[in-house]
Amino acid sequence: MNFDDNIKLADDGVSTVCVHCSEVLGNVSTGSLKNALSSEQKSSALGPGIRADPKLFTDREIVLRQLFCPRCLTVLATEVVPSDEGGHRGWKVFS
Amino acid sequence: MPLINIAGSEKFAYQLKPSSETKELAHGLKLHSINAADADSIDPLTYEVVRHRLAAIAEEMGDALKRMSGSVVVTDCNDFGATILDECGDSVIVGLYNTQLAASVDMAVKWTLENRGLNPGIQPGDMFFCNDPWVGGGLHQNDATIMAPLFHEGEIFGWTAAVCHQVDLGGVSPGSWSVEGRDVFWESTPVPPVKIVEGGKIRGDIEDMYLRRSRVPRLIALDLRAKIGANNIAQERLTKLIQKYSAKTVKAVMKRMMNDAENRLRAKLKELPDGEWSSVAHQDSFRSGDRNVYKITLKMTKKDDRLTFDFTGTDKEVEGFANCTLAGLRGGIMPIVLTMLCGDIPWAPGGLYRCFDIISEPGTINNCNFPAGIGKASVASAWATQNVVSETVGTMLSVHPEHRKSLMCVCCGTWDLALLAGVDQRGNPFVTMVCDSMAGGMGARVDQDGVDTGGLNCIPMGRVADVEINEFSFPMLYLWRREEMDSGGPGRFRGGAGGSSCFIPYDSPIGGVHLVVSATGKALPQAAGLSGGFPAGTQHDVLLRSTNVRQLLTAGRIPGSLDDLDGTTDVLQQHLETHLNDDDVYYTHWQGGGGYGDPLLRDPILVALDVAKQKVSKRAAQEVYGVALAENGTVDVAATDAARKALRERRAAVAVN
Repeated sequence: MNFDDNIKLADDGVSTVCVHCSEVLGNVSTGSLKNALSSEQKSSALGPGIRADPKLFTDREIVLRQLFCPRCLTVLATEVVPSDEGGHRGWKVFS
Repeated sequence: MPLINIAGSEKFAYQLKPSSETKELAHGLKLHSINAADADSIDPLTYEVVRHRLAAIAEEMGDALKRMSGSVVVTDCNDFGATILDECGDSVIVGLYNTQLAASVDMAVKWTLENRGLNPGIQPGDMFFCNDPWVGGGLHQNDATIMAPLFHEGEIFGWTAAVCHQVDLGGVSPGSWSVEGRDVFWESTPVPPVKIVEGGKIRGDIEDMYLRRSRVPRLIALDLRAKIGANNIAQERLTKLIQKYSAKTVKAVMKRMMNDAENRLRAKLKELPDGEWSSVAHQDSFRSGDRNVYKITLKMTKKDDRLTFDFTGTDKEVEGFANCTLAGLRGGIMPIVLTMLCGDIPWAPGGLYRCFDIISEPGTINNCNFPAGIGKASVASAWATQNVVSETVGTMLSVHPEHRKSLMCVCCGTWDLALLAGVDQRGNPFVTMVCDSMAGGMGARVDQDGVDTGGLNCIPMGRVADVEINEFSFPMLYLWRREEMDSGGPGRFRGGAGGSSCFIPYDSPIGGVHLVVSATGKALPQAAGLSGGFPAGTQHDVLLRSTNVRQLLTAGRIPGSLDDLDGTTDVLQQHLETHLNDDDVYYTHWQGGGGYGDPLLRDPILVALDVAKQKVSKRAAQEVYGVALAENGTVDVAATDAARKALRERRAAVAVN
């Protein structure tokens, strides 16, 4: 089963692996992306689509968070959020 | 003044009830009903003929609105909804216009059945007006609904409803977008259902009360008649349909449509794995001067053939004008259910709503209490609800080999409000909402790019007015309207590009125009990507004061960029009300759609084509996609391999674990 463009269920039925390099990314019961690399940078690292400095508009720090495959470094997740917020994005597939 | 619940307002905070309960509460009313066996016994041929006729009638309601309205927002931009409902107020079919609006009309009809049956009573030829989003029928006060009972042999057979965005219904700011507002008392007064048409005639006292609040009462009066006309046409057509096929048959088809929609959505949900998908949508600023960022969180659970949308954890309601009521929350869910899950299923919300539960705490930004400000609800917290639902439903669909083709990343993260008011070139007072951001970028798909300036998924038939129509109708002159480079979210499949408009006040006899601006997504993007795809670009609005634009035009030069203009430049905050003078220039740039997958996996040839078509800049090609281009614009394969390797190494370098 493929969960998306980059992540699929391994033949063992519990591990999640990278579609592109077969690296084990995690486990469906304990954390599908727990082995992924993570980064946090200024949102301007997204490129020219970020038109202006977030500081012009808010007093909260805005950051770019990403998760990568530890082997092939494919980006698995991308979000731009206030830095003082915990993670709200995720998924669990039961069957 | 802090938000304090108003005693007595609970009467209007409608909570949906089962149809059986609505029937019990519809005191003094006879409702036409059939039994379940009647719905099941309809033959397939009759079912299809009548079903398509109902769909055609809903479309005809839309045509009537467009022909009779005098508002460009309606006639050219299709910001309206048309619905046919059964006797209990369950929506049988919604037209392909603003599905946010159509999805919340059921609440208003049910409230009317439960509260107006005895006083003032509901009789043949009556129509009810409502623009109270706590009751339903619209998402903010500008969404003014006219709903009409259809009688057959002394019983309420069903309802028809038409709702349009009205350009001004009063409040502190023109257009009723009170950017400095802190609660609903700064805004247009919400009106719960009142009988505005009685026995086929407009009640003059109620109409006067309604129009008195508006800065453009003649236009609002015309739109009122357009909605009455749309209902009249629907009722005439439905009556003929009943005469031809019998009330029992038509009602059987209506019930069967909802049952079919429910059964087919349940069957589709069963094909998907059970699971939980969580996400968040942010909005920066709820009023002028507010510098905070607010969140709507969602955990969507799919179990067997049922979805649960749990918004627990969403921020508490806020002083400002960007909260939404439960109608807005429902209006945020249904467009995604329709477009992503029901492409091959009848759009019968009355049946589809049976497939899911909603958990939401009253007093939060997308289920606010009275008197929280909601003037911008439709394109603020309702829209953000749509964004977060879009992400969770899209991520769920990505698991299925076939249904994943129906997912779409978040479309244009919000509405880019530019509202103009003043005196037009003919000397008449005017107010209008510039609807250019109707051409938002669509989200990317799993196998194709999002459609550039393709529209909004909540208004499948939405469109922008021609530049010339806007210039003809209002005292403005465009310098350009175009797609904007790098506005679509990068990804293996790129989000659709958003666009920009740049215009000046032009030809008003009193000079200049009044401008109200409201658009979030400036501190952080609001159209997220999926599967690692990047979000669309941020919103960007710029006001240039005291420019040389008139001299340039006199010299025969049309400015092609802001750099061509002299003057002082202000990058605008999210909300502003100001006056545009004749030498000022306003530039507004709305958002694109989110990207799908890793940009480094995008075919370099597609990136080169994007650069050639000015969808993507050379800088983004190099820094985001890792594609190096030769001087002739073709892909430099070796340099691209090196650039992508370097970008991957940089990812490793910035990793914190």
